[in-house]
Amino acid sequence: MNEKRLISSLLAVVFLVIFATTVMAGGKNLMMATTTSTDNTGLLDYLIPYFTEQTGIALKWTATGTGKALKLGQNCDVDVLLVHAPSAEKIYIKNGYGKDRREIMYNDFVIIGPESDPAGIKGKKITDALADIQKDSSLFMSRGDDSGTNKKEKQLWINAGMVLPEKENWYVQTGQGMLATIHMAQERSGYTMTDRGTYIKYQDQKGGNAPLKILVEGDKILLNQYSVLTLDPGNCAGAKYDLALKFSDWMASKPAQELIGEFRLLGQKLFIPNSK
Amino acid sequence: MDFIVAGFLKAIELLISFDPSTWTAVSATIKVSTFSMLISLATGLPCGFVLGYLDFRWKRALRTILDTLLALPTVTVGLLVYALISSQGPLGEYQLLFTLTGIAIGQTILAFPIVTAITASIVENIDPELKLTLVSLGAGKKNIIVTCLWEVRYGILAAAVTAYGRVLTEVGISMMVGGNIKYHTRTITTAIALETNKGLFANGIALGIVLLGIAFTVNLSLSFLRKQ
Amino acid sequence: MTRTSYEIGHIQHYYGDKKVLDIDQLKILQGSITGLSGPNGSGKSTLLKIMAFAMKPSFGQVKFKGRKETPFSPRIRSRISLLTQKPYLLKRTVFENISYGLKIRKDLNNLENRVKDSLETVGLDFQEFAQRKWHELSGGEAQRVAMAARLILKPEVLLLDEPVASVDNKSASLIRKASLAARNDWGCTLVIASHDLQWLYECSDTRISMARGRIFSTGTENIIPPPYDLSLKNQPVKALDKGEHILLPLTDKKDGTAVIQTEKISISNEKKGNRKFNNQATGVILSMLLEKSSNHIMTTIQVGDFSLNLSFSPGKAEELGLQPGKKIILMFRSKDIEWR
Repeated sequence: MNEKRLISSLLAVVFLVIFATTVMAGGKNLMMATTTSTDNTGLLDYLIPYFTEQTGIALKWTATGTGKALKLGQNCDVDVLLVHAPSAEKIYIKNGYGKDRREIMYNDFVIIGPESDPAGIKGKKITDALADIQKDSSLFMSRGDDSGTNKKEKQLWINAGMVLPEKENWYVQTGQGMLATIHMAQERSGYTMTDRGTYIKYQDQKGGNAPLKILVEGDKILLNQYSVLTLDPGNCAGAKYDLALKFSDWMASKPAQELIGEFRLLGQKLFIPNSK
Repeated sequence: MDFIVAGFLKAIELLISFDPSTWTAVSATIKVSTFSMLISLATGLPCGFVLGYLDFRWKRALRTILDTLLALPTVTVGLLVYALISSQGPLGEYQLLFTLTGIAIGQTILAFPIVTAITASIVENIDPELKLTLVSLGAGKKNIIVTCLWEVRYGILAAAVTAYGRVLTEVGISMMVGGNIKYHTRTITTAIALETNKGLFANGIALGIVLLGIAFTVNLSLSFLRKQ
Repeated sequence: MTRTSYEIGHIQHYYGDKKVLDIDQLKILQGSITGLSGPNGSGKSTLLKIMAFAMKPSFGQVKFKGRKETPFSPRIRSRISLLTQKPYLLKRTVFENISYGLKIRKDLNNLENRVKDSLETVGLDFQEFAQRKWHELSGGEAQRVAMAARLILKPEVLLLDEPVASVDNKSASLIRKASLAARNDWGCTLVIASHDLQWLYECSDTRISMARGRIFSTGTENIIPPPYDLSLKNQPVKALDKGEHILLPLTDKKDGTAVIQTEKISISNEKKGNRKFNNQATGVILSMLLEKSSNHIMTTIQVGDFSLNLSFSPGKAEELGLQPGKKIILMFRSKDIEWR
């Protein structure tokens, strides 16, 4: 009984010690909301330490869907945004929530699918490809979560002159992040739309030989623009506006842009820097 | 299936190599679960005792509400806490969003009904002989409460272990309130969710094993309270 | 020795709608031993719990040492102790069980020796038993520990509710001895509820019997308990064996109990033809015990499904040739029976 008591007291002490050491980040802190696709590529893990080193500002970020990221900004729960939904961003600024929209980098969206390509969309233009998928009732995975990617995908259907196939049973709305959606598409040999960065990450996970291949690419409408937005002080008086502006400046600056350009997976560039 | 085996190996690798993202997640998990357990026990035990021991008009209604709260989905609690602590909410000024403290508050809300409801049940089923015996030995009201709770300590231990299990494994609150920020508010469970979402199933299993390790350690240290 | 411990007046207690206790008057003297008998469900346990101030009666108040008291009152805490039939211990060691009462009143002087002594009083060896856990004892041993836990507090009143009904003979005898010692050592008032009439007759100064929540004094009164039937002429009767029955007077009381004064019962060896007694019931003598204070012989006679207690001088008993097992005729008038 005594040894047991000793062990438990020791464990209790260990727990209390761990418990007592709280993480207190003093000094300059910035909170960012960004999207899962940005975070999942690992770009931020690679890039942000440079930012902190060069500016002395600590940056924490939470990765969610675009919708939630914008909402967090609107609620002033974060200080700065890094998203990729240009039309939503412009409305956001018009509504007085966001400010200083700055384009930082881009990549493109692609349609991926099984090598067997049952709907025969390889090499086609995006409008034709989507039409074929619908005609064939081929399985198509959608994010279905109103994220930047999802908004883009919906835009494609509308742009192709089609009604959004929400209720069709070959149109699967996963409600999940990009990588998870890709994995579902792989699981069921379906098509999906993804940003190239995440696709390369996915390829990297599969050791360079992924079952899903890029089938459609290159249309202008498939451009995926990432921008940094600060929060309008008129809506969020407490959001650290000057720090956020510093972040925005840094992301657009030459050193950051170079770092972005150098970020590779499997020897491929995930993002193309394009700040002005 | 092979990701399960890979998971086992990865678990050992993560722990032995003192991988910082894993160990900060472990520390975060321990911090929030310990905090929420201590508070929920400190508040839930007396409330449960009063609810079980006394008879009053709305007792049944209160019990039913409490039992219903046992089925609260963690995401719902997460949303409620978010509404409270977001900068637009009533507690916004305390800046609790995206902090471990915020998660701990949410987990306390999750654990409280469990501790209270189980304690109330236990107390209701206390042998009436116990109170008679205590009164016969000269116990006052406070003595009775304390001694009764000690007499049913095995049942209360079960309540604590149940609540702890719920708190340790929840994702909804940690994700919504904590934001899954690496090195800061990423707990083991949100890390598992992330790895699984990224398709890295072996990592998910590995972290799951780490979580079981924490649970095992805690239960081991509580085992001295059991009947020998 | 003339101070009262208890003065209980006009107490009623209900469980829900059911009246389980209805007492007009009860006085218990300090330092006395009161025996409480009665069938199960007669309200003995309820009365003792109320006397222990473990609960408040639905109506009425209990006076202890001249003052009205309620549960948890500081004047009665640790002064009145109740021991129930089922041996119940706290989930801890024997030592901790016995010292519990002392610990909560912060009376820790010389603790180990006092525990040792109290274990001795109930015949348990300190070395062997002090560290045993609550689940490592037999029923009798547990009850003895429970007794020791109360005796160590030297209470002014000890209420015992069938204390030896569930234990082995050795434990029973030790517990009985210890309770008497309590009275002799520090003048403890004892109220003992028991089915063991021999014990009650041996040690008690006063005897009370209860039925249906009401008190009757044994010795002067006898209860003819329910159930009762109605004869063909709508007269209440009590059915006995072999077609015999006792005629009871008419009443409009709903839940009354039939009672007869002992002096109104005559005894005979065979049925008589005279019309003086309209009730002649056959009974069997169950037991005969010498009551020490009156030097009379308390005779318990089984009649039908109940028993009556009559008291005889040794001379009369010899004259009638009374002995256990003998058939006897009890004669009394239905007029002399009261409904309470």
